[in-house]
Amino acid sequence: MELGAFVMVPGGDDFTGLREAQPHGLAAFENPRALYSSRMPILGNDVLQSWMERVRKLGVQSLWLASGAGVEAATSALAHFARQGIKRLLVIELKSYAEMDLADLLRFHCERRNPVTEAHDARGQLGVRLLDRPSVRATGEEHDSSCPPTESVRSPYQFSGYAKRILSAGERQELVGDGLTGACAMRPLGTQIREQVWVGEGVKVATSARVIGPTYIGSHTIVRAGATIGPFASVERDCVVDCGTTVERSTVLPDTYLAPGLLIRNGLVDGGHLEHLGWRAVADLEQAGLGGRIPRRASRRESFSSDTTDACSQGDNAFAWNLGSSSAAAQPWLEVQL
Amino acid sequence: MKSASMKGSIIRNGATNGAASILPFPSASSSGSCRAQRNDLLNALRVSESPVIVDLSDRRTLRVEDIDLLLECLALVAGRDTQVVFVAGSNTNRVLLEVTRISSLAPVFNSMKEVFAHPQRAAERDAEDPSKDHQGASQSQTVWSA
Repeated sequence: MELGAFVMVPGGDDFTGLREAQPHGLAAFENPRALYSSRMPILGNDVLQSWMERVRKLGVQSLWLASGAGVEAATSALAHFARQGIKRLLVIELKSYAEMDLADLLRFHCERRNPVTEAHDARGQLGVRLLDRPSVRATGEEHDSSCPPTESVRSPYQFSGYAKRILSAGERQELVGDGLTGACAMRPLGTQIREQVWVGEGVKVATSARVIGPTYIGSHTIVRAGATIGPFASVERDCVVDCGTTVERSTVLPDTYLAPGLLIRNGLVDGGHLEHLGWRAVADLEQAGLGGRIPRRASRRESFSSDTTDACSQGDNAFAWNLGSSSAAAQPWLEVQL
Repeated sequence: MKSASMKGSIIRNGATNGAASILPFPSASSSGSCRAQRNDLLNALRVSESPVIVDLSDRRTLRVEDIDLLLECLALVAGRDTQVVFVAGSNTNRVLLEVTRISSLAPVFNSMKEVFAHPQRAAERDAEDPSKDHQGASQSQTVWSA
């Protein structure tokens, strides 16, 4: 095999542990941190899908996915790659959205003949790197870590195109704004019903509700009477925004309920938690009776338990891979056909 | 200036030289004490003619019943000359006060020190951009003065 590809999905598990360690809830935290996983949709899009599409364009037939803890899975996968005798390995840590031409990265890597090439933008590493076989073998055999060998052998690939870190609530919201205004290639997944307003299928908006563009409302979301969505708002799929609530310059992640009469401004809401971008604080909306997680629909639950080794699926089904499943425990990474 | 030493007292506002009452927001762990504190707060608001500062500094976060009580406080002084000011004590509380729109009904400050230092300046600064300075107040329309 000429080139292998490996995608690590960070986050998720960390939040579970944090929740258990905080009997009084996360509201006690003043430190901003990602409450959401990199698999959460952005304007209905799955960032993993966009990376997979870029990998597919390189002619790679399949890639390996690993979640959460990372190190063990990565080490195991790297050892596997080394045994298979691959020539090069593309490792993508799913923490950024970057409109990167991976073919150009590959060309750069081959020309420089460095064992490791690491993609950077002006703000630093993007979590995308290419490793040559000796580096792969060394990393796998030594059970060192998910990171490639030493800094000295890394060659930086300077990326000047569009990139945002999706695990930063601030940059994530910037990406939402850019997607809504056409400043990046990502487009809202839905139907454009008027200028800069997109809705997914099955959306219900009360006649007295206001939708101010640029705005995106994800599939099966309900916006009740007197609510205001926008500008620069993204309410993802299966949410309920109750009467009179305003969502402005904010993102509401899937399966979130927002109580009546609230003002959500400059924030990111994930179920019962709100990360405020201005005050840099996380508030527990559930404890305050202001919001919470809506139980997933039966159909979605089924899709979440579907066979994780299925070929790349489209749309919402893309979120069906349960990387933390028991089967993943036995084999901490899984292969996905592209 | 420690807010704890001033709770339940009548003090003078350094900025305006007016009198104001400082009332602690219920924070007792036992339900009996909490109920008593709640009654004290509501009774004080009912009779007070001077501005009242409700101090939430001892609360790390707010629950459903706390939000209800804050709204009850506002309802008690509505239509009267008595002015209510909230001291959030934490950014988390500030976020909840903004989300519930309480901060659009009454001035909110981060600490007692801010209330008495430069309330007007803090309010103006905050209105510009809360992300630039987390020490300001979240309400600019009504500048509190005792």
